[in-house]
Amino acid sequence: MNFSKSHSRKFITSAGLALVLASCAEDKPLNTFEPAGPKAQTIYDLMTPLVWIIMAIIFVLVVGGTLLIVVKGRVTEDEYNPDELPAQIHGNTKLEWGWTIAPFLLLAALSFPMVQSIWELEGKNAEGELDVMVIGQQWWWEYRYDVDGDGFFRDGNGDGVVDEKDEELPLEISLDRDDVVTATELVIPTDEQVDLTIASRDVIHSFWIPRLNGKRDAVPGRLHTWSVQADEPGKYTGWCTEFCGLSHARMRMSTIALAPEQFEAWLENQANPAEVPTDTSALAGREIFAQNCVSCHVVREAGDAPEGVTAIAYAEDFVAPLDSGAAPDLTHFATRSSFAGGIYGVYVGDLGDPNDDALDAGDYLALSQLAETQDSGYRFNSPELKRWVANASSRKDMDPDSLQGMPSFNQLTEEQLDDVVSYLQSLD
Amino acid sequence: MSENLPAAETTSGSPVSLGAWARPRNPKGILDWLTTVDHKKIGIMYGAAALFFLIIGGAAALLIRLQLAVPADSPEDAIFSGDTYNRIFTMHGTVMIFLVVMPIGAAFANYLIPLMIGARDVAFPRINAFSFWVFLVGGIMLNTSWFLGGSPNGGWFNYAPNTGVTFNPDVGIDYWNIALILTGIGSLTGAINLITTILNMRAPGMTFMRMPVFIWMSLVTQFLLLFAIPVLTVAQVLLMMDRTFDANFFNTTMGGDPLLWQHLFWIFGHPEVYLMILPAFGIVSEVIPAFARKPIFGYPFMVFSGIAIGFMGFGVWAHHMFVSGLGPLSVTAFAVATMFIAVPTGVKVLNWVATMWGGKIILNTAMLFAIGLVTQFTVGGLSGVSHAFASSDTQQTDTYYIVAHFHYVLFGGALFGFMAGFYFWWPKIFGYKLSESIGKANFWLMVIGFNLTFGPMHVLGLQGMPRRMDSYSSVQGFTFWNQVASFGSLILAIGTLLVLHNAFASHRKWVAAGRPNVGADPWDARTLEWMIQSPAPTHNFDTTPTVTGLDELWRRKFNKDEDGNWERVASGDELAQPGNGKGVHLPAPSYWPLALALSMVPIAYGLVYSLWLTIPGAIMLMASMFGWALEPADDLDAPDDHHLEGASA
Repeated sequence: MNFSKSHSRKFITSAGLALVLASCAEDKPLNTFEPAGPKAQTIYDLMTPLVWIIMAIIFVLVVGGTLLIVVKGRVTEDEYNPDELPAQIHGNTKLEWGWTIAPFLLLAALSFPMVQSIWELEGKNAEGELDVMVIGQQWWWEYRYDVDGDGFFRDGNGDGVVDEKDEELPLEISLDRDDVVTATELVIPTDEQVDLTIASRDVIHSFWIPRLNGKRDAVPGRLHTWSVQADEPGKYTGWCTEFCGLSHARMRMSTIALAPEQFEAWLENQANPAEVPTDTSALAGREIFAQNCVSCHVVREAGDAPEGVTAIAYAEDFVAPLDSGAAPDLTHFATRSSFAGGIYGVYVGDLGDPNDDALDAGDYLALSQLAETQDSGYRFNSPELKRWVANASSRKDMDPDSLQGMPSFNQLTEEQLDDVVSYLQSLD
Repeated sequence: MSENLPAAETTSGSPVSLGAWARPRNPKGILDWLTTVDHKKIGIMYGAAALFFLIIGGAAALLIRLQLAVPADSPEDAIFSGDTYNRIFTMHGTVMIFLVVMPIGAAFANYLIPLMIGARDVAFPRINAFSFWVFLVGGIMLNTSWFLGGSPNGGWFNYAPNTGVTFNPDVGIDYWNIALILTGIGSLTGAINLITTILNMRAPGMTFMRMPVFIWMSLVTQFLLLFAIPVLTVAQVLLMMDRTFDANFFNTTMGGDPLLWQHLFWIFGHPEVYLMILPAFGIVSEVIPAFARKPIFGYPFMVFSGIAIGFMGFGVWAHHMFVSGLGPLSVTAFAVATMFIAVPTGVKVLNWVATMWGGKIILNTAMLFAIGLVTQFTVGGLSGVSHAFASSDTQQTDTYYIVAHFHYVLFGGALFGFMAGFYFWWPKIFGYKLSESIGKANFWLMVIGFNLTFGPMHVLGLQGMPRRMDSYSSVQGFTFWNQVASFGSLILAIGTLLVLHNAFASHRKWVAAGRPNVGADPWDARTLEWMIQSPAPTHNFDTTPTVTGLDELWRRKFNKDEDGNWERVASGDELAQPGNGKGVHLPAPSYWPLALALSMVPIAYGLVYSLWLTIPGAIMLMASMFGWALEPADDLDAPDDHHLEGASA
């Protein structure tokens, strides 16, 4: 090796290091190396530091050894004498058994903590703790909370008993009327293991919040169990990780961990039916919504609607002309921070982008009030919502003609769009 | 053995003309290639077709890197729509695996197996031609989907039910399905052919444990194909039944189970990984001893670890499904099994290193690429072990970490091995060496471009970037390393194209120099194929050599003197057969392999578009099969075939 070569190597190494450092400075909301809950921590501890270090050592020994052997054994063209042979060694049985058995033993030893961690990740929470059903469909996630503790969300026919009759219904479409249904954002209390039952309405999806746990597939026709737990309040973003067709790249989600008492307040609000708005524009929007949107979306309202206003669909009336058979429940739309599969913000401003993890968990409960205050730093994202309602497939790859995703409503006038958006804003 | 065949017997009878169509006589030009049954020409055609498809698959890869070079916060920021991108990455994976890596392996196997075992040709020459043509028909059919209604968009893994008619009504999935059934037929017939060839047609004295490592790895590869391909074909037929005839194998609302597809696909798919890499392992097991000037270290360990990989490769498929909800018990079993498959693979790597250890290493391009395989594959192997930690895999699977892993295995492993093979055997195949100066640039650009492209993907994956994503957001922290990868892919593309440039430039130079003879044994190598002239004569060996041990040619060149020192007794060129064999019986060319393959065209398009089209296809198929069966055994009257001269003497 000559001088200039070693210099250029040094230069490459230091340039490489600078690049690594530069990239570390960026925010990494999905980083698997920053676990924020015990399950993700289990995985992290399994690999760090032991396994990664063993692998690094093997890498250095094998690749470094190879390069050393090549550099030392190298014969240039001038030196090369075809009649001169190196020692002709055909092998060394002891050595070869050695490097067969040694890695075998090493891997056997490492398999013990590995197997232990597999079972640890499967661990269930205690009876009575929060269970959530997670349902994937093209291209968003739905969450159902068992609020009343009536034995989960499996009371499909709503008769108050979970029995065989409920099992006749496809699990992923059954709905207990008392339970809370939300979309895109999974809200959980901190320091509590939340068990998930993962299902799919159409194709295979995969639920993944990297900082809280590994991923688990949502397979149609099957129910898979998994769990998440967060140590600190905050926002943890995730991404569908099984290719699920056209808009797979824009099927994102996040988990928002709130302090337990805040979570209780959130859940209480979510369990309430939507209030009929009093504002004229929002009321007009409700009318338009009832005419155009309720074949797919649900807004749960209590009791009879006021005279002169068309009632909004309830869950049992809801027949979506979509392959998945469902569109997001919008009962408390304005309490969410993102929509459209987690790619656009319902609010903009201090909230940050829906894809990063900047969120003041304290403000999360009061987003709709804050947005009405001039200088709060939060604004309702009416422009994006209007674009979305008018022509959703220009904002996210969808194919409504093949019953995949939201059709466009460009027949609505500018004023009608404003009305619909004010109605959505009233759903807090 | 082949040289003992009483060739005279066939010529003593009167010329047979039972066939509907006489065999082509001394075809020239394009007709020669279309009707050939010569394993060397078929091997070259496999290689040429694979390089053509490599350009398509590579262009798709560059489009992927182009799209991901910039984040897209909303669809209008993206270069391609989600739909286009999905089609591009599906075709990239499908083309690279089925139409590039597998056929390059087939190219080497076809060209080299008969030469390295001292045989005249493969066992079933017409079936060999058919295997190639049906592969080519399938490959071209798949690529016509770009123009005829859209290429497939279900990923190379084509998971049900996303590929069912409900969620994917367009014809792309049908193209994927049926084109790959065709290439599968080619792989299967090829496997039977080559297994028979290796088992039955070795030169006298070439026992199993005297076979070159490349032959061993090819044998394992062909057995993997034999048992793995039918599983894929079964899965594809089930999917075709679902899509075309309203069956319900994967339809969950009718009680079908989408995991059935995953199990079938990966029972094929994991052996597939090994059958792509084992030919390259075989190649470097020949290249490294030749240029370290030492025998392969631990030949029996090399052989048995290859066989072990073959067996274990069938027992680890579910590690592709650790997050698909198998249950912890299955996950545990497959995770532990997967960990141990690292053992035989590690043995191979260490034996290559030990082969180089203490050797006199000639660092030419072929050797550089072989060393490239050893080092880059080690990276891929280690990241593979990290997936075997199933709980860790729940974070890594379906992220760019996996993309990095398998590109280190398939590009840094298989393709680097193939490049070593190209540079090593090129003079035997074409009669001239590839330029070393272009070759070194080729290697260094590829190795730098490769690491710049796929190295950052380890980081991206661990930082949470899932794969098969047409876009990512500017706030997710993925921009920087994606840009490095996209930049690297340009270097890699230029580096890869240099091998084509080298082929043409070196050829021009060789022609300008008056086509000098490169010699039978330009590398002072070890195995039988270097005992015949370059390029290899049509009839391979003038007389079938008798084998007395491993590395037969080497044993004939060197002798141990009384002090235990090796001394040369002859050069390869002195030992080489002159290539003027007379009375050699060779299989005659035939139209029927091509005709039979072409009859698949209307059947295949018929299954995509209209079943009526299958009727003319079935008629063509029957006619071709009868033509094939009734074809005269040989064209005995060929007056100017010098190989037949003296055959009856």
